Amino acid sequence: MSDLDSETLPPAETESGAMIKADLLAGLFFLIVGIAIFYLAWDMPRLETRRIHPATIPGLVPMLLGGSLALCGFLLAVRAARVEPVRNSWAVLGRTLVNTEAIRTFVLAALVLIYTLGLVGLVPFWLATGLFVFAFIMLYETVLAENAAPIARSVLWALVQAIIVAAVVTLVFERGFLVRLP
Amino acid sequence: MFDGISLLGAGVLSLLNWASLFNIAWASLLGIIIGALPGLTATMGVALLVTFTYGMPPDQAILSLLALYVGAIYGGSRTAILLAIPGTPASAATTLDGYPLARQGKAGMAMGIATTSSALGTLVGIFFLALIAPLLAEVALRFGSYEFFWLALFGVVISGQLTAIDNPIKGYIAGILGLLVAMVGMESLHGYQRFTFGIQPLGGGIDLIPAMVGAFGLAEILTVMKRRGIPTIITSTDRVIPRFKDVFRYRWTTIRSGIIGTFMGIIPGVGEDIGSWASYAAARRKSKEREKFGKGSVEGLVAAETGNSASIPGAMIPTLTLALPGSAAAAVLIAAMFIHGIRPGPMIMIENPGFVYQIVAILLLTTIAITIYGLSLTRLLVKVLLVPREKLMPVIYVLCVVGAFAITQRMFDVYVMLFFGFVGFILREMKYPMAPLVLGIILGELLDANLRRGLLLSDGDLTPFFVRPISAVLWIVIALTIAMSIPAISRPIQDFLAKRLGLGARGARDG
Repeated sequence: MSDLDSETLPPAETESGAMIKADLLAGLFFLIVGIAIFYLAWDMPRLETRRIHPATIPGLVPMLLGGSLALCGFLLAVRAARVEPVRNSWAVLGRTLVNTEAIRTFVLAALVLIYTLGLVGLVPFWLATGLFVFAFIMLYETVLAENAAPIARSVLWALVQAIIVAAVVTLVFERGFLVRLP
Repeated sequence: MFDGISLLGAGVLSLLNWASLFNIAWASLLGIIIGALPGLTATMGVALLVTFTYGMPPDQAILSLLALYVGAIYGGSRTAILLAIPGTPASAATTLDGYPLARQGKAGMAMGIATTSSALGTLVGIFFLALIAPLLAEVALRFGSYEFFWLALFGVVISGQLTAIDNPIKGYIAGILGLLVAMVGMESLHGYQRFTFGIQPLGGGIDLIPAMVGAFGLAEILTVMKRRGIPTIITSTDRVIPRFKDVFRYRWTTIRSGIIGTFMGIIPGVGEDIGSWASYAAARRKSKEREKFGKGSVEGLVAAETGNSASIPGAMIPTLTLALPGSAAAAVLIAAMFIHGIRPGPMIMIENPGFVYQIVAILLLTTIAITIYGLSLTRLLVKVLLVPREKLMPVIYVLCVVGAFAITQRMFDVYVMLFFGFVGFILREMKYPMAPLVLGIILGELLDANLRRGLLLSDGDLTPFFVRPISAVLWIVIALTIAMSIPAISRPIQDFLAKRLGLGARGARDG
């Protein structure tokens, strides 16, 4: 098994193997979405009661675009399926979703969603922003860092920056540019 | 001709006041800093700055946005030279020779040459902007629905083809997705609401600015934070101000790259990135010292930096005269112009003839500003590169939220920003270009309305779309572009050309 392990393959090869499989999945996805859009556009009212010209129905362009998307998705999937198979490419694709880089991305996605969909609107904007900045710096300077900074130093600087950003953004936009904040 | 010169003079004179000079000074410096910071791009900078310009008079707002745009494209070269990572995607070709030069102890010289090349590139582009824009606006007055339909399709197809990273189909998919986004909401011909699924805010369609802030702001933050390590910076001790003979020696490369960059800018949605790569490839083909390219060639650096900077005035040509964005950042500029009540398009030379020359004057003064900054602020810009991304990125995201919210002051736009941020990130990871997507969003309405209006005028007959002279040229170019992206068609043609002309057609394209 070890000689089949994707880790022994050169990076470019493993990367392209994962990309081919990703293209195959994306191609199929766009094919389905394209067909769905075509159907929705076909199903759109033709506004016959308003006696519009049949060539100007609202669904015309969406229909053409849905069809084009389906065709491009099909071509992408076919092209990916016809490429000579790279060893273990499904496993490599799976691994790109659980490696360190993926974890860093998922953590950021969670932070962004909690801040935008949870905190903003629930607590005052300056507080939500301060908490977000603090959590962001702490997580990426300590837990997710390769060479973690001393915790006490990170806490102190994260706190200082969180307060400054929360205050400056609120003051500059609300008072300076007269923009309402969320 | 004399009208043009007097309007240009009036344009420059209108900027010689403290407010304009002050705005050019800070916006171009901010642009350089944004461009130098890895992960902050010109498009993101312009999209975020729109929020700050609401309260400004329209001319000052456009001036600030444009100065930031020019500054950011130049600023990217610093990171490319000192860190080997492009500060903006437009500086990717600069990395190839800029970084090897820095490793040879010539970082100062590389930064100096990058500065003068950027300035000269912008000047070449400005020359063509002043020359071509009024002529194109005059021609565009003759365009009808048929031509505008093809023009919109031409933009998306060409942009999809030229900006595709590994596969033109991905470029086309990105363009179609953008056009589909533009289909959401009330259509202009019959007032029917498409794809709103009962969600009320979708009735008004999806605004470009929140979508751009997401696709270029949040998506970029996710990309930057995903990476683990950041390479170390090379410090410079050598002379930054270049010698005249060093600049003069590559005059033909400068002129050629300036022309290529400008024309890449003119092509809708094909901006600085391609301008830079195309100039670099042409310089390598023509160079007497081809073997030095990629190992620290000054000529390569000159070509890349001239090419990307010349694309900016080039991109302004279709932006101003056809309302067709020449680049992704220009798409934001169009949105900002509409916010400030300026309508770009064929009528601009009739409604507001001085505006094109005012843009020329802004670009001229910004070029002077970036040259001064570039040659004098070496230490400050190195300090900028030392700002850790862990501290910078949360601030940028907060600005993304504020920027998306501020325009219409509704949370729906923040959700749009989030959606486009995540989708944009996934698409980028899978090597889909962003420029056709943006172009699609902005051109969707033009394409849809003009196709159906044209069909209404011709009573459902498609013939006028194919036989009117300008329409015919456009559809033939579109058909050829699509055909050339099909390997079964393009390979035999390339092989035939290679045999007939004795040229490495495929090699030339790859180079």
